[in-house]
Amino acid sequence: MTGTIIENLSGRKLAVLVTFLLLCQLTCFLIGGLVAPMPANAQNILGTVCKDTSVMKNDTTKWFYNRGKGKCQPVDLGEVHHDLSEKDIVFAFQMPIPREGETYDYSRWQQNLIGVLQVDISYHSQMEVKPRSTITIDARLAYRNKEDPEDGWKLYTQSVEKRVLDCDIDIKTDEYLYNCSLIPLFELGSLFHDYYLLNIRLPIDTPDMNAHIGHIQDMWVTVINQNGGFTKVWVSLKTVFFPCIIGILIWFWRRIHMLERKPVLLEKMLLSLGIALCFLNAPLEYLTLQFDLPFMLLLGDIRQGVFYATLFSFWLVFAGEHMLIQDTSAQSSLKQYWRHLSAVAIGCISLFIFDMCERGVQLRNPFYSIWVTDLGTNLALTFIILAGISTGVYFLFLCYLVYKVFINISHKRQSLPTMCSVRRLHYEGIIYRFKFLMLATLLCAALTVIGFILGQVAEGQWKWDEHIELEYTSAFFTGVYGMWNIYIFSLLVLYAPSHKRWPVNENTSDMQNLSEEIEFSRLPGERSEISSLTSFIRKATVD
Amino acid sequence: MLPNKRVYFETASRAMYVVLVGFGASRRGYAHIRGIAKAGEPNSLSPVSPGVLYMDPAVHATLRRKQRRLARENPGVLAAVAKGANMAVLECQHQFKYRRWNCSTRNFLRGKNLFGKIVDRGCRETAFIYAITSAGVTHAVSRACAEGAIESCTCDYSHVDRAPHRSRAPNAANVRVWKWGGCSDNIGFGFRFSREFVDTGERGKTLREKMNLHNNEAGRMHVQTEMRQECKCHGMSGSCTVKTCWMRLPSFRSVGDALKDRFDGASRVMMPNSESDMPLRQRNDAAPHRVPRRDRYRFQLRPHNPDHKTPGTKDLVYLEPSPGFCEKNTRLGIPGTHGRACNDTSIGVEGCDLMCCGRGYRTETMFVVERCNCTFHWCCEVKCKFCRTEKVVHTCL
Repeated sequence: MTGTIIENLSGRKLAVLVTFLLLCQLTCFLIGGLVAPMPANAQNILGTVCKDTSVMKNDTTKWFYNRGKGKCQPVDLGEVHHDLSEKDIVFAFQMPIPREGETYDYSRWQQNLIGVLQVDISYHSQMEVKPRSTITIDARLAYRNKEDPEDGWKLYTQSVEKRVLDCDIDIKTDEYLYNCSLIPLFELGSLFHDYYLLNIRLPIDTPDMNAHIGHIQDMWVTVINQNGGFTKVWVSLKTVFFPCIIGILIWFWRRIHMLERKPVLLEKMLLSLGIALCFLNAPLEYLTLQFDLPFMLLLGDIRQGVFYATLFSFWLVFAGEHMLIQDTSAQSSLKQYWRHLSAVAIGCISLFIFDMCERGVQLRNPFYSIWVTDLGTNLALTFIILAGISTGVYFLFLCYLVYKVFINISHKRQSLPTMCSVRRLHYEGIIYRFKFLMLATLLCAALTVIGFILGQVAEGQWKWDEHIELEYTSAFFTGVYGMWNIYIFSLLVLYAPSHKRWPVNENTSDMQNLSEEIEFSRLPGERSEISSLTSFIRKATVD
Repeated sequence: MLPNKRVYFETASRAMYVVLVGFGASRRGYAHIRGIAKAGEPNSLSPVSPGVLYMDPAVHATLRRKQRRLARENPGVLAAVAKGANMAVLECQHQFKYRRWNCSTRNFLRGKNLFGKIVDRGCRETAFIYAITSAGVTHAVSRACAEGAIESCTCDYSHVDRAPHRSRAPNAANVRVWKWGGCSDNIGFGFRFSREFVDTGERGKTLREKMNLHNNEAGRMHVQTEMRQECKCHGMSGSCTVKTCWMRLPSFRSVGDALKDRFDGASRVMMPNSESDMPLRQRNDAAPHRVPRRDRYRFQLRPHNPDHKTPGTKDLVYLEPSPGFCEKNTRLGIPGTHGRACNDTSIGVEGCDLMCCGRGYRTETMFVVERCNCTFHWCCEVKCKFCRTEKVVHTCL
């Protein structure tokens, strides 16, 4: 009789393997902490107020910027301008801003660009800003590449957007600033070009438009882009993990095919988990260096979503498969788990719909946000709450299942003393290893959660030593990423069917008492290659 | 800004413009420009409309050599410095609107120092002037960095090299650094630049220089600590698994408010009187001719009253009690409170009792035509009615 590798692995080999994997894990963490920079970089850009003297305001070939040839004529909003109307005012944001006397440009390694708008509004007793007033923004985004002339800006996208301006003020005295909430402005899924330029106008096409937003002093746009170094480290990790997982997956599948029986559900689940991980690991980021792929943000979400969905389903099936009670005859299939899995499915589908509504639409219009309108906010909240509820339900289910498994095991443990010593030792080993893997899962999950919470509490960098500064956020990301890769890697290895003959079993078969012998011989062909752990539990339930 | 304030501002800056350009050739005017450009020393600072300053070659000549080098290395920085100085003056005047000393710059027009000779005394008011000026420069330079008006602003290199003093990397390396780890430092450059530019003259040898250094540093610290953190979540589906935070430059008004609080609680200090109070490294120095630059800010001032606690980095310090601001004092350039408006119902410093120093006040009822019921559109359009209101004005005798 053969079992899975974990059952046949000696304690020493297991220890060696675990140590090796832990070392890999530590390496991942340290690579993130010591090599990689922060995951993302934010640049605050103060808008230059430009004067648009043209008559036609919707000419998208005319751009305003404050650096380089053809720069605009800046206006100081603090002074009175009788010759200006609000239509003539353009806020220009040229990104990235120069540093160290250099004109920096975006690199394609920097992946994506997220823009957030902040408006400085000064208080006036005669013009109070109502809470939750609407600001209408005419935003135009242009791009330019290094080889283009300095005034060769080309339209990237353009949109007139409404946003909610949520402002309050503590000291109601003139010229104090309102505290206004951040306004999400745009999300670009690809950072393909070298320079970007944002022109913002505040149109007043109707008398009510932009009438209750007070006196704007300044406009700030904070642009967030992924750091090139982080992308490089991340993609390198992916490049390493991808072939490893592919390799182990092929090995796993070949091993299963060498068996005479068909693969059982757990093995199919493991396989799909491996495939989902491969999908997540595939270093598609290399393509963005060559092609303009604005859907990468969305694709990244989908890849993560698919992975989490498979992982969650796997845990359910894993727990479920280890406590089959009654109908031992039927090959278990996914259908049996439809009730449990529907929680996962509902959660994932609602998140997917939400993501399509937000990032999917952003493919067409980067300035779009679902959170702007009340209907959109309600819709988004519905989907998110739905996802949250199904996650909660899922975890309740999972905890219940795991609880039942442990109850089962402890029940069977009570019958262990009645067995012969060799067999008992062996079963105890199996239970120990099963618990070990359960613990590993819990540990991984707990580490992820704890790491996340620590990251939220202590932002930025951690100092262990005067000279060693750990970039904690990056370390967390690479650490968690590595951890789940290693986790699945070890699952694939340890749960692959073993080809080793089971000497203990054969030696002891004649020593076993009759009743157990009968149990084994009842369905000899079917049981022979199932993992001995499941067979043990099944058998025990029949006892 | 409110319309009347704007008008005030315009006339003020126009006046400065006249002073600058009109008297530019005369010796008196030259002295002013010298003051403006040396924005580090508030005693000779002037508000100036930005843009005028750096075009004038005479200005350049009046800078200290180091400041000239800084201006040359950082194009666009002088405009920011001028703007910052201007902001500081306006803020000072706002904060001291209702006090006996009202941060008056009237003397400036008559050819004296900007704030009058008050800055020659090491009193509270001087402490505030120094702090608000260095804060103004820090703020304005940081702002200009964010706008991209100064191209030589530096990056935060903490992710590249953990050593505090990193030599300037060649340009290609800088670009690589930006692409690797980003660059998002506005306040850091403003802070360091203000140290270099404003503190040029203060070597920190005498007690007065120490006071100036301390107050300059306090002003900058307030800009830094008044910054507010903002965060944006951009993880999977916009969740907070990935969160990026940045610091937002405070409004200069909040910096002014904070500094005014410190002004009210400023501590009077004196030199550490015994050698044992001196920091160790200075004692070990055999010939302390020149305090090393890096250590210029590492000194500890002792409170005048030993029961008080030693002033912190954000506290303002002064050396001597303020002169009386009640009466005109030409020697110190104090205009006195004659003719100042006061509030007869208040018992505070703006109340007539205190403001007029017990001399009594005159009450007049006058009709004022004011703009009222104004409607604004966000940028430029102001529609107001004119209202005739009766106002009771109290003026100090």
